[in-house]
Amino acid sequence: MADIALPTNPDAADAVWHAAGNEASLTLSGHFNAHTLGNGLWTRTRTAQTSWLGDSGTGKGLTIDLAQVSYLDGAGIAFLIDLQHAQETAGGQLVIHNLDQRYAPLIAQYQPINNLFPVPDSDHHDTKSTLIRVGQATEATVEDARNQIVFIGKLASALGWAARNPRQVRWNDFINVAVEAGVAALPIISLVAFLIGVILAFQSAIGLKQFGAETFVANLVSLSIFRELGPLMTAILFAGRSSAAFAAEIGTMTVNNEVDALVTGGIDPIRFLVLPRLLAGLLVAPILSIFSDLIGIFAASLTMLAYQVPFVTFYEAVLKTIHVNDIMSGLTKSLLFGLIVAGVGCLRGMQTGTGAAAVGLSATRAVVTSLILIVMVDGIFAYISYKTGF
Amino acid sequence: MAQTPVSATNPTSPEEIIQVKNLTVGYGSNIVLKDLNFSVKRGEIFVILGGSGCGKSSLLKNMIGLYDPPTGAVLIEGKDIVTAEGAERQEILTRFGVMYQQGALFGSMTLLENVRLFLEEYTDLTPDEMSLISRCKLDLVGLLPFESFMPSEISGGMQKRAAIARAMALDPDILFLDEPSAGLDPITSAELDQTILSISRNLGITFVVVTHELPSIFSIADRVIMLDKETKGIIAEGKPQWLRDNSEIPLVRQFFNRDAHAPVATPESQTPSTAH
Ligand SMILES: Nc1ncnc2c1ncn2[C@@H]1O[C@H](COP(=O)(O)OP(=O)(O)OP(=O)(O)O)[C@@H](O)[C@H]1O
Ligand SMILES: [Mg+2]
Repeated sequence: MADIALPTNPDAADAVWHAAGNEASLTLSGHFNAHTLGNGLWTRTRTAQTSWLGDSGTGKGLTIDLAQVSYLDGAGIAFLIDLQHAQETAGGQLVIHNLDQRYAPLIAQYQPINNLFPVPDSDHHDTKSTLIRVGQATEATVEDARNQIVFIGKLASALGWAARNPRQVRWNDFINVAVEAGVAALPIISLVAFLIGVILAFQSAIGLKQFGAETFVANLVSLSIFRELGPLMTAILFAGRSSAAFAAEIGTMTVNNEVDALVTGGIDPIRFLVLPRLLAGLLVAPILSIFSDLIGIFAASLTMLAYQVPFVTFYEAVLKTIHVNDIMSGLTKSLLFGLIVAGVGCLRGMQTGTGAAAVGLSATRAVVTSLILIVMVDGIFAYISYKTGF
Repeated sequence: MAQTPVSATNPTSPEEIIQVKNLTVGYGSNIVLKDLNFSVKRGEIFVILGGSGCGKSSLLKNMIGLYDPPTGAVLIEGKDIVTAEGAERQEILTRFGVMYQQGALFGSMTLLENVRLFLEEYTDLTPDEMSLISRCKLDLVGLLPFESFMPSEISGGMQKRAAIARAMALDPDILFLDEPSAGLDPITSAELDQTILSISRNLGITFVVVTHELPSIFSIADRVIMLDKETKGIIAEGKPQWLRDNSEIPLVRQFFNRDAHAPVATPESQTPSTAH
């Protein structure tokens, strides 16, 4: 054993396998770590061992000689444990020769090694059958709907409280949120509203030109923008920006136990966190909606210049078509949309589970739920205005 | 300064594995520590002490190259981590493992996956082999039964232990641990100390540990440095037992003797603390 020079290359390890009948020997040499073992050394050795052990390892003895091993790290020890485990499960014996004294405690601390080789079904996130999954999903949906209704109740009570105690509302937070959700959204809303106005005007003009009715583009476009597209498009952008932001902010606070700290400190998180955002949403959504209406109409009028419809003619037609009712209808919708976006964002934030992934999930859920509710409310509104003319 | 080229593999050579030179630690204009000079020897357990907020975590983060300090250099195995780039930096990064004060486990992965991640990135082992190595690491910190739990499903102390297991995944030459035993019960904490000692003594791994736990300091530390908020520097360096008994600086003696002097019911009964 003393006549062999230790390998000096830290990047090299070797294993020589020799089997004869019931006796096998494995001579290891070099530096064993995750890198040297990763060159197929581990796999090769185990394959040789498995084929030698065959169906039954009873009476088969493996001798491992470590005399030429210069270094064994945790991965090297895991390698030895793997060999030992394979030998023991097959019913064979294992003898290790020339193990450096300093590695003995490191190997000893893993005994019994069976724990390191779990039986496959020990997964604690077990898989469920499809039927159970469907049932649980249904239950979760019903539960979610119930939570949303409860939350609406809490919001209403918080709004009532705010009306009675206006001085106690956190107006500073309200202003910050309103600026972030409102003013900061102006560029993107301008851009989208402008493009929608241009596209709408062009599309209508192409059709109406066949009848020489380009002047009626103004009537068509202004009505769709004020009643439908302005509020809807604003709400969608608002949901994408602010609903996700609210959910992520409150979600992070939930994950960090900040919401718990508020509750145990006797502060109602609905009043403290949700109310300022809700009020900001109620204020900002209608304003953004009006703003996008105006940009859209302006863009349409610019487009119609290309069809020789002058500004004045266009705006006169708009003023003639649009009644207070149309504007009010759009505004009412925006108000509801603002309520939905802010409310859902906060609700999803408060429902956040634990861990960073949960915050991302909450933000996604906030946007999806907002969009679904926005479309639903829009549909209900369309039906009501069809029936009542509002 | 003579800088000997290092052989990264011989765990018994006593050279300086980390050299910190004229390092200034700070955030913008807020200088936390200045002009630090010290070195860590290969295989030793080096402990950083100091009051809360004096900059221990910040120093640790500078030592692992997370920040670009205003002045100074940190040499890890002879290479400056501050200026290293590309493949050289990558090479230095695989030399050490870090346990952050908050654990910093990846929240979307199970404990086993957390430990496995670095093996998957850096080695060519098969999935079974990587899992076995990872299970060994989790076993070392007593978390084997929780391998398929998510970080959010285990307690704070368990998260710390899992983070230690992850730091050890690649069996690095150096382990940086930020308050490994804070928040652990005395028994688990003592077991962790034993694990650290065993890994250090048997595998020659170097440890840089931030800790406040006096029993832990006395049982594991080969050498400590103590940082001070007022002078923004190192006020003491040496073996903890020696500093406790011989330091001229009141703050240092106060720190080490806290448990000896605190319940001063009968001042006469005070005896010089017995060295271990
Ligand atoms: N990300 C940061 N940005 C700005 N300043 C910071 C930052 N992190 C820490 N600091 C400042 O650096 C100083 C040292 O903080 P550090 O976290 O290093 O303390 P510490 O010694 O680890 O304390 P503790 O024992 O409480 O963990 C503090 O004064 C803190 O204000
Ligand atoms: Mg710290």
